Amino acid sequence: MSGIWAIVVLDMQRFFKERVRLIAGLIQPLLYLFVLGSGLGASMRMGPPGGVPAFDYRAFIFPGVMSLALLFSATFAGITIVFDRQIGFFKAVLVAPVPRAAIGIGKVISGALQALIQGTILLIFLPFMKIDVSVMTIVWVIPAMVLAALTFSSIGVAMAARFTSTNVFPILTNAIMLPMFFLSGAMYPLQPAPGWMQKLAHLDPVAYAVDLLRGALLGREHMFFESPLLSVAVLCVCIVVLTWSAVNVFRRGEELDLTGPTKFTWRK
Amino acid sequence: MSSDPNAPAVEVAGLVKNYGKVEALRGIDLSIGKGEMFALLGPNGAGKTTLFSILSTLRTPTSGIAKVLGRDVVKERDATRRDIGIVFQEPAIERTLTVRDNLGLMGRLYGLDAKAVRRRTEELLTQLLLTEAADRPAQNLSGGQRRRVELARALVTDPRVLFLDEATLGLDVEARRGFWKQVRGLTDSGRSIVFATHYMEEAEVADRIALIAEGKIVALDTPRNLKARLGGGVIRLHTENDAQAREWLVQRGYQPAAGVEPLMLEHKDPASIVPILLRELPVKVERVEVNAPSLEDVFLKLTGKALIEADAPAPTNGKKGGWS
Repeated sequence: MSGIWAIVVLDMQRFFKERVRLIAGLIQPLLYLFVLGSGLGASMRMGPPGGVPAFDYRAFIFPGVMSLALLFSATFAGITIVFDRQIGFFKAVLVAPVPRAAIGIGKVISGALQALIQGTILLIFLPFMKIDVSVMTIVWVIPAMVLAALTFSSIGVAMAARFTSTNVFPILTNAIMLPMFFLSGAMYPLQPAPGWMQKLAHLDPVAYAVDLLRGALLGREHMFFESPLLSVAVLCVCIVVLTWSAVNVFRRGEELDLTGPTKFTWRK
Repeated sequence: MSSDPNAPAVEVAGLVKNYGKVEALRGIDLSIGKGEMFALLGPNGAGKTTLFSILSTLRTPTSGIAKVLGRDVVKERDATRRDIGIVFQEPAIERTLTVRDNLGLMGRLYGLDAKAVRRRTEELLTQLLLTEAADRPAQNLSGGQRRRVELARALVTDPRVLFLDEATLGLDVEARRGFWKQVRGLTDSGRSIVFATHYMEEAEVADRIALIAEGKIVALDTPRNLKARLGGGVIRLHTENDAQAREWLVQRGYQPAAGVEPLMLEHKDPASIVPILLRELPVKVERVEVNAPSLEDVFLKLTGKALIEADAPAPTNGKKGGWS
């Protein structure tokens, strides 16, 4: 436990030293929400299948934009692992008598916390959406956000554990994150989408997270997946498997680098 | 399993480490006592860092046994981690955090409670003369201060064995002297210090020195005994034709060190032989140097190689880790 705590404190101390990231991280979601959302929304009249009255596109994509903010900020948090490895700082963590599992869990939690801070700021814009907010909305949306943030953070940590270059990591994460985001139904309803997209969405953890958030904010009738419980289960499995896979890498210490200690890529 | 109180600080037998086809360690045997100050002296790439990586549980040996305080470093990783502290070549402190926060982090990683962390941090700040720098981000410190923070980081849990891997790399002479002054005080209370260096004058402070080259220990003794291996003195001859001079020397029964340029000759009484050489050598002698043997000479004699390669890049100004 103390190991997890140490890692979380470290990452949060660093996070609050980089307040620019907090602001910059909000720009993209707000662009989607207010520019793309307003533009596309004006030319579209949205309605869930079954003929429920059409409603605001921005309200529809709000949960999707929330996932976007959580997704990018949580996976980006993983870059600290790559960076620490590059300069050698991670070795100081690895020689400490901390269970490798604690390092992995600590990293996942701190990434999720950073994403949740960003997500919470985004919640401020909720009253400007045409969404009926009740106490229950908040009661449901918070656990959905936590689950989504943990999932995305474990994706970031599992990937970051395998990289030693901070140049490659963002490029590759973007190459993987964007398709996951586009397929997730964040910006459009999945119900009328082609069959192959619906099938692929079933393999996309981001889709389950978006679906839960949408259910919490807009109501059950807007959800795509068969059952919210299924989505919760899928996300929990993702978190466990991905965290475990990162822990496995940490167990190997420096052995990842097969060329010997002097070839360590911290020089870049 | 608790550690054996009579076990040596470090015990290594037949240690081999390969990186693919590269043989980094080719059978190391070593025993380092409690409270000993022990140096590994060898050029870059000799295997010093690999040995430390194994002893500090970051890498697994290909074969052989490594023990710290009687515990197998592979089988009892966590127990080993609790007993050791290590200063790496590269920076291993978080540059954006203050010195105090860095030490706090380490204390928490080692499971100290908040009160113990605070007490230990203050102790180390005072001991290592870092009080004034305590609340500055690590990236704003001088090279010498940063290395002292690294030392403080490694000492947070009061380890019984301390490893220093080229800990002064890139520091100027003044900062290096300051660093070693701090280190020398640390062997009290039975703490063992094992350090790697390729500066011979640093190795002189050790109780014993292992000369290491290409993954093997070529000699292991006290500094005095190592130097005594070369007898009275070392003569270096710069001649017009070294090859011819070498041939002549060998014919006369002298033993110039093989493969070493300029010609190097050890002799128990240089003063008596130098005039003879100057008179009788068939080639013109441009310059003669006579020195008391240094560890560098011993290393040259044993391996035919210099500790610091002539074409090696000059040390940088303490920013090896690439942050500025």
